[in-house]
Amino acid sequence: MSAERSDGSQLAFFIDYSRCIGCQACVQACEECDTHRGVSMIHLETIRRPDSVQTAPQVCMHCENPICAQVCPADAIKKTPDGVVQSSLKPRCIGCSNCVLACPFGVPKYDAHIDQMMKCDMCYDRTSTGRRPMCATVCPSQALAFTTREEIERTRQGTAVNVWRFGAEVVRTKVYVMMPAQGPAIHIDTIRKGGPAVAGPGREDVASLLDGL
Amino acid sequence: MSRVTEGRNPAVVSGSHVAHALFWGLLASALVIAGIVVGSRGFRDFDPALVSYAGATVFSAFGLGYRYAMWLRRPPTRLYWRRGWEIFLAPRRLPRHLFELGRLFVDSVVAQRFIEHRSRTRWIAHWFIAWGCLLAAAVTFPLSFGWVRFESAADSQAVYRAFVFGVHVFTFPLDSWLAPLVFNVLDIAAVMVLTGLFFAFYRRGRDRGALAVQQFASDMLPLALLFAVSITGLFLTASTHLLRGLQYGFLSQLHAVTVIFTLLYLPFGKFFHIFQRPAQMGVAFYRRAGAEGEQAACIRCGEPFGSRLHVDDLKRVETALGIRYELAGGGHYQDVCPGCRRRTLALAQDTAWRDAGGHNAETRRDG
Amino acid sequence: MAKLPQSIPELVARFGPHLNRTPSGGWTAIGEPDRLVKTHCCFCGQQCGIQLKVKDNRVVGFEPWEEFPFNRGKLCPKGVKRYLQDEHPDRLLSALERTEAGFVPVAYGKAMDRVARELTRVQEQYGRDAVAVLGGASFTNERAYLLGKFARVALRTANIDYNGRLCMVSAAAASKKIFGIDRSANPWSDIPKADVLLLAGSNLAECSPITTDYFWQARENGARIIVLDPRMTPIGRTADLFIPVRPGGDIGVFNGMLHVMIERGWIDRDFIAACTTGWDELERTVHNYPPERGAQIAGVPASMIVRAAEMWGPARTSFLLHARGIEHHSKGVENCMAAINLVAATGRIGREGCGYAMITGQGNGQGGREQGQKCDQLPGARDIENPAHRQYIAGVWGVPEASIPHKGLSAVPIFEAIRDGKIKALLSFCFNPAVSLPDGHFVRAALEQLKFYANVDFFMSETSRYADIVLPAALMEEDEGTTTNVEGRVIHHRKAVDPPGDAREDWKIVCDLAGRLGAGDRFPFQSSREIFDELRLASRGGVADYYGITWERIDREFGVFWPCPSEDHPGTPRLYEGHRFGHADGKAHFQPVDWRPAAEEPDVDFPIVLTTGRVVSQYLSGTQTRRIGGLVDQHPQPRCEMHPRLATELGVADGDFVRVESRRGSVTVRASVVRTIRPDTVFVPYHWPHDRSANNCTAHAIDPVSHIPEYKICAVRVTRVPAPTDALASLEPEAGGVR
Repeated sequence: MSAERSDGSQLAFFIDYSRCIGCQACVQACEECDTHRGVSMIHLETIRRPDSVQTAPQVCMHCENPICAQVCPADAIKKTPDGVVQSSLKPRCIGCSNCVLACPFGVPKYDAHIDQMMKCDMCYDRTSTGRRPMCATVCPSQALAFTTREEIERTRQGTAVNVWRFGAEVVRTKVYVMMPAQGPAIHIDTIRKGGPAVAGPGREDVASLLDGL
Repeated sequence: MSRVTEGRNPAVVSGSHVAHALFWGLLASALVIAGIVVGSRGFRDFDPALVSYAGATVFSAFGLGYRYAMWLRRPPTRLYWRRGWEIFLAPRRLPRHLFELGRLFVDSVVAQRFIEHRSRTRWIAHWFIAWGCLLAAAVTFPLSFGWVRFESAADSQAVYRAFVFGVHVFTFPLDSWLAPLVFNVLDIAAVMVLTGLFFAFYRRGRDRGALAVQQFASDMLPLALLFAVSITGLFLTASTHLLRGLQYGFLSQLHAVTVIFTLLYLPFGKFFHIFQRPAQMGVAFYRRAGAEGEQAACIRCGEPFGSRLHVDDLKRVETALGIRYELAGGGHYQDVCPGCRRRTLALAQDTAWRDAGGHNAETRRDG
Repeated sequence: MAKLPQSIPELVARFGPHLNRTPSGGWTAIGEPDRLVKTHCCFCGQQCGIQLKVKDNRVVGFEPWEEFPFNRGKLCPKGVKRYLQDEHPDRLLSALERTEAGFVPVAYGKAMDRVARELTRVQEQYGRDAVAVLGGASFTNERAYLLGKFARVALRTANIDYNGRLCMVSAAAASKKIFGIDRSANPWSDIPKADVLLLAGSNLAECSPITTDYFWQARENGARIIVLDPRMTPIGRTADLFIPVRPGGDIGVFNGMLHVMIERGWIDRDFIAACTTGWDELERTVHNYPPERGAQIAGVPASMIVRAAEMWGPARTSFLLHARGIEHHSKGVENCMAAINLVAATGRIGREGCGYAMITGQGNGQGGREQGQKCDQLPGARDIENPAHRQYIAGVWGVPEASIPHKGLSAVPIFEAIRDGKIKALLSFCFNPAVSLPDGHFVRAALEQLKFYANVDFFMSETSRYADIVLPAALMEEDEGTTTNVEGRVIHHRKAVDPPGDAREDWKIVCDLAGRLGAGDRFPFQSSREIFDELRLASRGGVADYYGITWERIDREFGVFWPCPSEDHPGTPRLYEGHRFGHADGKAHFQPVDWRPAAEEPDVDFPIVLTTGRVVSQYLSGTQTRRIGGLVDQHPQPRCEMHPRLATELGVADGDFVRVESRRGSVTVRASVVRTIRPDTVFVPYHWPHDRSANNCTAHAIDPVSHIPEYKICAVRVTRVPAPTDALASLEPEAGGVR
């Protein structure tokens, strides 16, 4: 891993969606990065605005065996030796959008104007020289954090998890998500029409406090 | 950059794929050899001085055939290849597709406008390099294959005759405007390539984004090869016209080495995109066919997010690759739109914290 | 007469707001910047550290400044994109003079001559106080100090005030009344150490985003969070207790909580006896606020108030933060005092993890109010009516004490006096009242009454358009100076580039004008550092004592907290340690508060409460942020948030146009139908001008003590209307149009 501190400890990327306040500092800062100037790669999702102000950022999770690369007909998506999955190689990408549709995290973006897929590359110009990515540096809520594992474990509740299951597909990622200390993997196995609005099943959402007034 | 494992079990993949690819490689070589034999009228027009170029081309053809066949064995590529041709050749639409192909060719291949949208410097660099190389290729391959030759007219040293496949096509006097153009076409190509390289090196040397992601083997080496070919070619001209043939023999061997190395590199490095890239035009037809057909609606939000054709094809590719997106709760994860995937992840985490009574416990309606 | 010299669309076409989207030189990554300048964001009181990238004397981008301890590199979207204002096509590059045909460029010297001449003429004819001066809380300390001195020494008018009057004054007055000092009691580093956080009237996530991490860090440490807000905010969403209080009902919650705490013995009687006064009266007052009555006032279930008391009362450590939501009221000071009573009653103040803070809104909201540009204060947060304070400042300034004017009018009364013809001329800096003051029609009508108006700004604001002379000013990064952040930490803004064209630093304009008014000998400053040195002296011995703070110390120590009486004093990050309070008796003074209604409560004709506020990508009146493409994209235009139940009653669907109308004026905007707001309240953010200005509706009722306007409550009716198609609606959204 290239993003290494002077004391030799390794820096890693951690997401805590529940911290996100939807301010879009990450979206604005993303386009300032030298590897994709003027184009923002990060996603900031509004979960369901009429019912909640919940939002969530999504950067590339940098899979160990990226599905985007597996489904790429042009063999255009490559991983660096330090495990960062790069934007599609410009000479190869044929703009088919397979990666956009197949990525389990919904990350790659197809830009019709340049006929190329681009995605979060963890600000490779920055992380490859020991600096922190733009989004995680500026993130006011630190929903996006780029720090050492020790620091995260010292300052946060829960554990950093990087194993996901989408149906039967197991995906390991370079990026971690903060989860309560329980099962080892995050399991996505049920998708319902309409989705859960904002809260877990059988729970009242925060907006119900306002409905009752 | 490291290669990404293709499929779940690469060992199973390899055996039959290699044999298949070897076949196509050999076939490509055989076709080039046959072309040389036939086109040079049984070597009658073949210039023995250029035999090393022709030989390298044969090897290069093998490499390209092999690589292309291997590439087409990847499930996503194979499916796109098959689907692309099916759609393109659908008889009802073929005329429109041919017209469209012409338009795409002008826009994407001739003008390369999509590169301009990425970066103007990159576009200028690429355009000059690409057309310099194509121009040079259009001259050197026919020459080294013996498909084209020039000879002075029997009755006048001042008149040249050009033959293609042994057929006399035209005659031009040495003092005509055409003559310097014909004799210096490779120099013109070299200057074009060098112009492009100047922009490419400038960009790669100063653009902080490019500096961060570029790698020597994949990004700088191809430029270096082109530079070596172009500059040694120009040395030859300089030696002939300015230096009375100084070191001509050595220079011509040096040039040959650079060209042969580049030819052998062709199938393996960045230059392979020249052969791969036309697939982009197939994607345009595929996308249109998809857009005209049924759209796939997300099973979570109900919004269309892609064509049914694309989503179903992708499921086939995923099955072939061993990606298991079938959900225990019913349905297929491929039927969830990217936005809903992102929302689902955040909600899964949020719910887990609430279930754990954790740090962002649900607001209590009552104490 | 200062009517607009041209139509608004014509003015917009010429002066903007237009959008700047790309950095100077384009989105190129070619080449390295010449230097990185460590400075601070100009937007909001958090004053985050940031490094500006400079190339060829132009600001071309930014780099996070991770060493600065307050924000550690973190920035909100405004901070990220602020650099785009530097090379902006709308920048004013020369002085402008209004003529029949519109604004024409005029030589700087000639413009200054005219300003001096007109101000002198008005003062000779109508008296010294017929000229008013308005400053801004985005001023550096140096500029704020200089402007106060200029008004009192060069113009000798009593009527100087500033736009901090719209922001911090209720919090300031409440803090002074209870603890004797107007400043957040604790540094932000105390927030994560608290067991319970009470956030009252702050949409923290949008208005002071950087504080979010401090909150979440407290949550990681096990803290519980209570939020009072009529809207579900991002912090409210995940709070342990979200109390969706009715606008203006906060005292019901605070007094009700204290009532429960007294009942259950969750107050610190020893502390109260030893360190406070006024407890008995407070106890008698809150006795009348059982949770049921508090609930009635607050419009929430009584159980929420009890629950809040149960969380706050027995906690070991606690931290209260409040902001405009409880301060922007005609009872703003009372609201804050009721909240701070909760802090004092538990004795949880003046130690680690225990205390409270007011969340400053404006860039130098804290420092801007300490250096004497308030109508009632002299430098060092001194009282302009206190003879000893006057004497000291007269000595520093080298003028007779009697020559210093007494207390003048505050911002809203200044506009009333302009309307009434008592104030004839205005000199304003850093202030866009045409958008930011309440009751916009009243404000704009007053501006039209002025005999002479000189305006200093870096862009042509909606208010500048009324000026006779517009002087081009420098941005924060084109000047050097200090500000005081939300914590009371004095920090250093470094100059990154020179001002463009004829634009120049405000302090140079003020010194120049003082010279033309014949007071040049009192304004001999050659640099803002010299002004700071005089400010240190002027503040010496005052409440806000900067005497021991130097620019070198600021740079070395990442800022110094006032009070800092000497150069060997470490500064005071945490006030009231050892329970020594700011009053002469060293004690905290409880302030009993009874709830009373707002100046305008809803009635049959105007049955809905309108409350106003900010969005994260815009800052104040938008003069700067409505010119930056990315920020405008994020929130192109104001929307009226309303609950689906109210929307159904009104027959409004999401995205419909609605007219929000009060007795004073209206806005026509699109509706956002969301379940995240009280059904009896609608919300419209205030950053936009003309028919999109929420302040067309608000009332210019003010708090009797702090003179803050009541932005958070006015009575409106809401009706569905067709899409407006008039000339103003057709403007770009950043200029006041709608889409």
